[in-house]
Amino acid sequence: MKLAFQLAYKNLMGAGLRTWLNAGVLSFAFVVIIFYNGLIDGWNEQARIDGVNWAYGNGHLVHEAYDPFDPFSLQDGHGMLPEEMQGNLTPVFIQQATLYPQGRMLSVQLKGIDVNQTVVKLPTHLLDSSSAEFPVIIGKGMAASAKLNVGDQVLLRWRDRNGTFDAANVTISGIFETNVPFVDGGQLWMPIDKLWEMTGLTGHATYFIANDAYVPEESAGWKFESKEYLLRELTKIINMKKVSGSIIYLLLLSIGLLAIFDTQVLSIFRRQKEIGTYIALGMTRWQVVGLFTAEGSMYSFFATVLGCIYGIPLLAYMANKGFGMPLSADQSGLILAERIFPVYGAALIIGTIIVVVVSATIVSFLPARKIARMNPVEALKGKLQ
Amino acid sequence: MSHENIISIEHVSKRFPVGDGEFTALSDITIYFRRGEFAGVVGPSGSGKTTLLNIIGSLDTPTEGTAVVMGRNISNLSHKESARLRNMHLGFIFQVYNLLPVYTVFENVEFALILQHKSAAERKKAVMEALEWVGMAGMARKKPSKISGGEGQRVAIARAMVKRPDLVLADEPTANLDAKNAHAIIQTMKNLNRELHTTFLFSTHDEKVMSYLDRMVHLEDGKVAKDEFIKTKTTKP
Repeated sequence: MKLAFQLAYKNLMGAGLRTWLNAGVLSFAFVVIIFYNGLIDGWNEQARIDGVNWAYGNGHLVHEAYDPFDPFSLQDGHGMLPEEMQGNLTPVFIQQATLYPQGRMLSVQLKGIDVNQTVVKLPTHLLDSSSAEFPVIIGKGMAASAKLNVGDQVLLRWRDRNGTFDAANVTISGIFETNVPFVDGGQLWMPIDKLWEMTGLTGHATYFIANDAYVPEESAGWKFESKEYLLRELTKIINMKKVSGSIIYLLLLSIGLLAIFDTQVLSIFRRQKEIGTYIALGMTRWQVVGLFTAEGSMYSFFATVLGCIYGIPLLAYMANKGFGMPLSADQSGLILAERIFPVYGAALIIGTIIVVVVSATIVSFLPARKIARMNPVEALKGKLQ
Repeated sequence: MSHENIISIEHVSKRFPVGDGEFTALSDITIYFRRGEFAGVVGPSGSGKTTLLNIIGSLDTPTEGTAVVMGRNISNLSHKESARLRNMHLGFIFQVYNLLPVYTVFENVEFALILQHKSAAERKKAVMEALEWVGMAGMARKKPSKISGGEGQRVAIARAMVKRPDLVLADEPTANLDAKNAHAIIQTMKNLNRELHTTFLFSTHDEKVMSYLDRMVHLEDGKVAKDEFIKTKTTKP
């Protein structure tokens, strides 16, 4: 095998430009596969981190009647959890409300949260330090859509526990920037005790955010959803993106492999006399098959080297500068940063190398098998069709 | 049949399918060659010379009869065994040299020794010695495309001789050479035959080559027409 690779190396280096054209095409596929997967992995990692940091914490203890995908469940999807069970949990209480910025009407979710919490990155300290009677913080996206700035007062209408409408001016105490759309779009965050007071539902929560020390325990009327569970929709989207991405790189890889296959078929046809000479000099047919297979497989090694030469600086640049995403977070509904920073893990790089090397070896072996059936006399004459 | 025979061909026939019928290239040939002979199989095109050499070189097998080379029956050898026979005991010289184009002169000659798993030092010594024999040591680093036809055939001789084979099979080695080069090439092989006692078997219809041969086996229509010992340096088996 060592001999086959030594000879294959010499043959390929001797073939000059043809070798580097094949290696170039394959290396392009190589770099694109790593870049695309790195981008998806980068998005996945960023989205998971942002999701956990801004919304999920270590998981949610959710009221059984609450369904985040069903706004009607807000009316009854809340309750009280015994105080002794609230250790390592931060309550969030959600109510529907209507905001009237500049004469317009916006349906919003009013979310009460403990101002002293540290489990998520929401700047709730701004609520604590505000002197306003009804302080709220909103995300940058919400501020833009409602045309609100810090210090603005805006009319809010909500219903209390008896269904009676009430209204007051709330003050924008802070605007935060996040990539997590369901913390930003249509959300108003305020002190939970103020919301209790406004609704008359003191002690109620829709869900609790768990910190890292929280150990799930059975509690009637409440269910624990781990952060992996909460991230399931995102995971599905990421996986779907990976599948659609794999079609692209399958096409690219096919082009590279087709070039190798084509070169191999032509090589075996054009180099019949050479094959006959190898056999006359004492190589077995299968050694010659091995030599031609090694040549094809070596394209993938050259592609790796070539890919490293231009790919490492290119991919490192992208990893450092990030890749601007055309959609803003509130438009897509996904946890999507303005810039995604690709992540290239060892598993991705080694996995891609293995896929490319193995597939290049297979497409090289397929035409090379013909050599095993060659008549060396005909090969020496170059008369095989 | 003597044990000193390096080649024993007994009642060998070779037929090739042609369309619906068959073409008989060799017909019931019996012939022996002894070690150290400088012999040739001569005859017009289509007389079966190359077919006979291919069988002796274990590149082909007879349809009938037995061909024994270096004590091995060619028909009974596996692919691996015949490859080993060619690698260890036989040298080939072709009409069109068949040098490997991407290798240098040195690497072309070295190739057979790589297959024998010789060390780099052993290979270098043997290759340079073989190139000295044929007067090509100064061109070791050149590619085949940069040398002339005569030089190419010298390299081919060095490649055949570098492993010190027992038998060299040369198929029309001077067909592509001018008279001066042809004489020089044959003289080189003749010298190697004398110095190293290597058996040379030619397939040729070149008068220049014939003038150097100690023995000529004339083939006509696949049959031995005449077995002629020109000089008495070897004895008829």
